[in-house]
Amino acid sequence: MAHATSPAAFGRPRRVIPGLGLSFTITTGTLAVLVLLPLAAMVAMSLSKGVPAFVAALADRRVLAAFRVTIVSALAAAIISAIFGLLLAWVLTRYRFPGRRFIDAAVDLPFALPTAVAGIALTALYAPNGWIGALLVPLGISVAFTPLGIGVALVFVGLPFVVRAVQPILEDLPADEEEAARLLGATRMQIFLRVIMPACAPALVTGFTMAFARGLGEYGSVIFIAGNKPMLSEIVPLLIVIQLDQYNYTGAAAIGTAMLLVSFAMLMVINRLQAWAAAR
Amino acid sequence: MSNTAAIEIRGISKRFGNHVALDNVHLDIRPGELVALLGPSGSGKTSLLRIIAGLEAPDSGQIMFGMEDASRRHAGEREVGFVFQHYALFRHMTVFENVAFGLRVVPRARRLPRTAIADRVTKLLELVQLGWLADRYPSQLSGGQRQRVALARALAIEPKVLLLDEPFAALDAKVRKELRRWLRALHEEVKLTSVFVTHDQDEALELADRVVVMSAGKVEQIGAPGDVYTAPASAFVHEFLGDTNRLACHIAAGRVLLADGGVLGRVEAPDGEAIAYVRPHELDILPAKDGSAFIRHASTFGPLVRLVVGFGTANLDVAMPVERWVRLGIAVGDRLNLAARYGAVFSDPAAPAAQLLPEVPGTMFAASICQQGGTQRN
Amino acid sequence: MTARGRDGALARRMLIGLAVVVAGIVLGMPLAIVLVEAFARGPAAYLAALADQDTLDAIRLTVLVALCSVTVTTVFGVAAAWCIARFDFRGRSLLLTVIDLPFSVSPVIAGLVQVLLFGRRGWLGPFLETYDIRIVFALPGIVLATVFVTLPFVARELIPLMQEQGAEEEEAALSLGASGWQTFWRVTLPNIRFALLTGVLLANARAMGEFGAVSVVSGHIRGATNTMPLQVEILFNDYQIEAAFAVASVLALLALVTLGLKLALERHQSGTHANEERPT
Repeated sequence: MAHATSPAAFGRPRRVIPGLGLSFTITTGTLAVLVLLPLAAMVAMSLSKGVPAFVAALADRRVLAAFRVTIVSALAAAIISAIFGLLLAWVLTRYRFPGRRFIDAAVDLPFALPTAVAGIALTALYAPNGWIGALLVPLGISVAFTPLGIGVALVFVGLPFVVRAVQPILEDLPADEEEAARLLGATRMQIFLRVIMPACAPALVTGFTMAFARGLGEYGSVIFIAGNKPMLSEIVPLLIVIQLDQYNYTGAAAIGTAMLLVSFAMLMVINRLQAWAAAR
Repeated sequence: MSNTAAIEIRGISKRFGNHVALDNVHLDIRPGELVALLGPSGSGKTSLLRIIAGLEAPDSGQIMFGMEDASRRHAGEREVGFVFQHYALFRHMTVFENVAFGLRVVPRARRLPRTAIADRVTKLLELVQLGWLADRYPSQLSGGQRQRVALARALAIEPKVLLLDEPFAALDAKVRKELRRWLRALHEEVKLTSVFVTHDQDEALELADRVVVMSAGKVEQIGAPGDVYTAPASAFVHEFLGDTNRLACHIAAGRVLLADGGVLGRVEAPDGEAIAYVRPHELDILPAKDGSAFIRHASTFGPLVRLVVGFGTANLDVAMPVERWVRLGIAVGDRLNLAARYGAVFSDPAAPAAQLLPEVPGTMFAASICQQGGTQRN
Repeated sequence: MTARGRDGALARRMLIGLAVVVAGIVLGMPLAIVLVEAFARGPAAYLAALADQDTLDAIRLTVLVALCSVTVTTVFGVAAAWCIARFDFRGRSLLLTVIDLPFSVSPVIAGLVQVLLFGRRGWLGPFLETYDIRIVFALPGIVLATVFVTLPFVARELIPLMQEQGAEEEEAALSLGASGWQTFWRVTLPNIRFALLTGVLLANARAMGEFGAVSVVSGHIRGATNTMPLQVEILFNDYQIEAAFAVASVLALLALVTLGLKLALERHQSGTHANEERPT
């Protein structure tokens, strides 16, 4: 019997679905060439003049001020986004009212609207002679061209992250838990704090973190409204642009690397949060 | 043997990580027969079917189609028709396009002309009695109709072998029974070598020419439906096929003794610990005021009455015809004695059983408790 | 619904009112002001602003950049989804994380890395100068930066869908004798077409609207390397406010059309889904 001698393990198709090699090569090749290598080059360049130069580039007063402004406004904006986002998600899932679907669709607007468009629109709105800015002048509040403006822009950018993170959780929340709590005599506030908040807290935190991470790197919607005063309303991404304009590649790379590290940290936090939320 | 086998499975092994799905499986499937791979979930039956189809690659071993080694052939070159458990119909194609798919993907040089393809598809749809649904999409069909479309699609390529993965599992009970008969009739008509996977013993016993009972990646027994039921090769096969009562016992001088010393019956087997199985219909009940057992529960199911009998701490299943139950004139709570008419005694769970016989026909069961007794139901 | 009705009509109305106000201020007004400012001097001025040669050049370049980068993003996305959703291999979850990486990196960094690699003082700068190849401050750099930020869009849409659909239909096609490519074109592609279209739409919107990444690599050469968002910036900084908003209104329209189509596609998708899940 001839077939008995044929080597069984030779040339056997390991997987029935073809294309692993091709698709894997395209995927990893593209990522390597277009994303990973460029990022690695940036890290390498930031360290090309040694670690002390790297540290010195970051320890600059203007750079530190920019990091402070960026982190503080991103944090504040993420908190406001979380509050507004929870409100919107709640109202959109719990109530039926005219215009609900319209608002639901509008929540995605910041995802789709180019950041430069958002930037000039917000600037026009909050300028001292703008629709909203004019109302705030008598109150002695100026938004445009101050750190407050950065916050306003970042709320616009961050809001949909929170709404879209919390919405599905609220939709899936079984009504009987609330009804049971109500039958047990809980007040509305108690139900909200003890039943609803614990259920959507992980999603809220995820949305908050995503809004915060996005805020740290945001550029287009911020630079028009921020006024970009050094030490006061200058954000980190703008500083990279300024360093590049001065052909200070190493400095730009150092700031970029620091931002990348912050992004990685945020990515890990988000992954942890999602794992935590999934485990609950 | 390999001269007559349509499919010869030689020493197939397959692991998924640490889990051994198949462990050195050998099996011959004869031309034109309908074989059932029967076993609980995780027994490796679906893996074996997928390996035959070429959808999965074994770690070792060979699949022979006739005299040819098919191991190295790609799934598309094996000329097998595969019917998936959830049918896997192409959701964006009509019924007609689904059935025609296998004919249309043939390289142009060997492809049938358009009209011939249409003829073949129309014939197949008539064979599965779905000609009137040719323009529908799978989402517009009932489960039974989808199942038949899947079958027609698999048959369209004129396969040498038809493989069906749990063909009736996704259907409700009534449709399942109809389709089972219909598939058997279809098999009589086309006489295509067919292998189907099932965890349902009724399905395997009713439909198949031969049943392959599998457990934990191994073949426990191969045989005709009647044989595997009446002469199980291992305790596993006996337990898996049909309802049965399991009684721990030991054998002494040809007598089967229960834990408390009561006598279950006679057996020709060496002394030692053993497991005895008695099926519900092999147990007789004999009403007696001081009987060792009592009726916990009784339910009528068609022509049969099913009893749960409390025997010490154990519950045993007993089945009898309604007429006999009526004639006995007893009710829940009444005391009685039990007697085994037949049974199977396994001294070694991996070897065939010895026949349990009544010591004297109609002998009573032991008078008291059978501590280790338990009930097995499938 | 009845239990929720007991929420208290007043609280409910207040929450809805608050949500409408928040949505109006944060989402509605920026969009409204774009249109109002664009038409501030009437339709004729609006059309004249759009007919400006620099603006037309910017529109042309934007379309070209989007065409190039969306092509790369689409091929990458399909390949990534195929190997992630159809195979199990070591490092699969790591690959999934890397695919998402561009989402969490500041767009300015996406531009920065191109300058660091291909700029005159970048790693490959001298080499490129020898052969007179321009990447930065030219179309290739703009495309590379845009690809960086849009890379995950298509993959993100396809991966969850293909995982949910499973491989059975592809296995069926292959066992019926179809080749790998036949299986892809005739079975896989029709099954993912709506999600693919959604991903392409979102990638396109982002590509056309990208500001931060492109701003860094473009060099702002009018009529040559200016995309529409950059044109908006230049006009705005030149105090040609109406013209800036006129160009911005085109981008806003693009965003609205994108959102509308996405909504329609999602509805279509869930429609076909509901069909498939009809009781058998």
